[in-house]
Amino acid sequence: MSELLTGDGRTHVESGLMRESLVSKKLLAETDKRTVRRMVPDVHMIAIGGQSIMDRGKEAILPVVDVLATLKEKYKMVVGVGGGARARHTFSIGLDLGLPVGGLARIVGGVEENNRDILQFLLAPHGGITFVKDHFQDLQLFLNNGLIPICIGQPPYHFWEPPSVEDGRLPDNGPDVGLFLMAEVIGAESVIYVKDVDGIYDKDPKKHKDARFIAEISAKELLERDYDDLPVEREMLRTLENARNLRSVRVINGLNTENLTAALAGENVGSVIYSSRYEKGE
Amino acid sequence: MQKKDGKIWIAGIESELHGQTLSSRELRESLANRKSISVLPDIWVIKMGGQSIMDRGAAAVEPILEELVEAKKAGINFILCTGGGTRARHVYSLGLDLDLPTGMLARLGASIPVQNARMLQLLLAKHGGIMAYPEEFEKLPFFLNAGCIPITTGMPPNEFWEKSSSQGIIPANRTDAGVYLLGEFLGAKGVLYIKDEDGLYTDDPKKNPDAKFIPKITAKELIENGQDDMIVERVVIEYMQRAENIKKIQIVNGTKRGNILAALNGSDVGTVISAE
Repeated sequence: MSELLTGDGRTHVESGLMRESLVSKKLLAETDKRTVRRMVPDVHMIAIGGQSIMDRGKEAILPVVDVLATLKEKYKMVVGVGGGARARHTFSIGLDLGLPVGGLARIVGGVEENNRDILQFLLAPHGGITFVKDHFQDLQLFLNNGLIPICIGQPPYHFWEPPSVEDGRLPDNGPDVGLFLMAEVIGAESVIYVKDVDGIYDKDPKKHKDARFIAEISAKELLERDYDDLPVEREMLRTLENARNLRSVRVINGLNTENLTAALAGENVGSVIYSSRYEKGE
Repeated sequence: MQKKDGKIWIAGIESELHGQTLSSRELRESLANRKSISVLPDIWVIKMGGQSIMDRGAAAVEPILEELVEAKKAGINFILCTGGGTRARHVYSLGLDLDLPTGMLARLGASIPVQNARMLQLLLAKHGGIMAYPEEFEKLPFFLNAGCIPITTGMPPNEFWEKSSSQGIIPANRTDAGVYLLGEFLGAKGVLYIKDEDGLYTDDPKKNPDAKFIPKITAKELIENGQDDMIVERVVIEYMQRAENIKKIQIVNGTKRGNILAALNGSDVGTVISAE
């Protein structure tokens, strides 16, 4: 039973962190944890690329929708989506107008909502339902009723988007980061990024014929190699390195939907990016 | 439907962002050195400490509010944000005991500063205190033009999306960070932290009587001196170094009358931490 303590002019509730600044490195080390509790561990996060899948229109979207409808019978899934060409256009106009990074982060989610609503419409016959921030804690209501929650990827940092680590004035945090973080709190079984390339390459395979495929790499090493281009956000790699629930993510080519079936079955398709924080199998 | 490289196209952004992944280093570098507009350049963003002020009750809160109302009457416009304090520490302790993830702790920690903001709103109502929830921030000009004092939580809206740190499960972005980022986004006149110590010390002066006062320091020096504890959240010091607008923050002791007004009038009372 906690007690109220006075005597230094403040009224404290007795706790292990009482009177702490929560800034002390010593305190952070003492309260660190290697792993944390998972909320709904049997869920898969399927992240659909905005530019890579949605912008391709029906020839890429409809096969993905069909395979998700089939896979739903066997797996619990949350489907997230990015913004694609319209997100780039938003940034292009926003930058031209001189909007600060927090302003860009606040508005870019609007075009992801378009893509979410399109996927919800198409998946509605199979239980597709929009899944918004304020209903995060209703996740089990959707999943236990056999629905497919569909959400946007952009994390809700909005005006509070931190100044970017990377060059330029774009938010570091995009849909890849947002969906990863949702999966981290959920304690999801897997995170699968569905793109239009087979996985990670040392350069963009669409522009370079000699691009070399990388089947497995740690996020740390991928950051250190500092390739000019990557199919996933660099901030997602930094976030993965510090995650306590998730150990890896997978990047697959969704233009061949058999890859998605195989990835959910745990087969080794696409590229795996793992956190160097943990030993294999830990 | 006209497509290019298999994709539905938007004309006019070919040169810059189209067809590129946003991770492209070349793209990011091409966007460096752009200047942003200032959203509300004449407004101060002020944080009322949780543990340091709110948990002291009326003895500390009332005189500070009197000073803030005096500033308002003198034509200084500000947004007042709140910290959490001891109840936040209690719920973090409970969350840590249950091995809850960082995102969940951030969610729990978010409730407490909202309580504190509501307390201040009740106290300041007669002077125009009004709750400004993050969803209503686009109405800030309206609140300010009406002569109100917008009051809000210092916590950023990260909640479930708060990242784990390389060391520690307690959310790194709490109310100091939220207040700083709000000031940075607004291109505010300044960011002022009201606490119960004269400013930054080499260690926590409440626990270490040998801690020395630091009136002025740069972010780089503060990181390099390796001190274990400090009066603001560490991420603020990181953000400041890559920020565009808010290149310094000020921390004053609000329990000593006159400090707040002095700081708002441009005096370097307390501690000033600057980016460079």
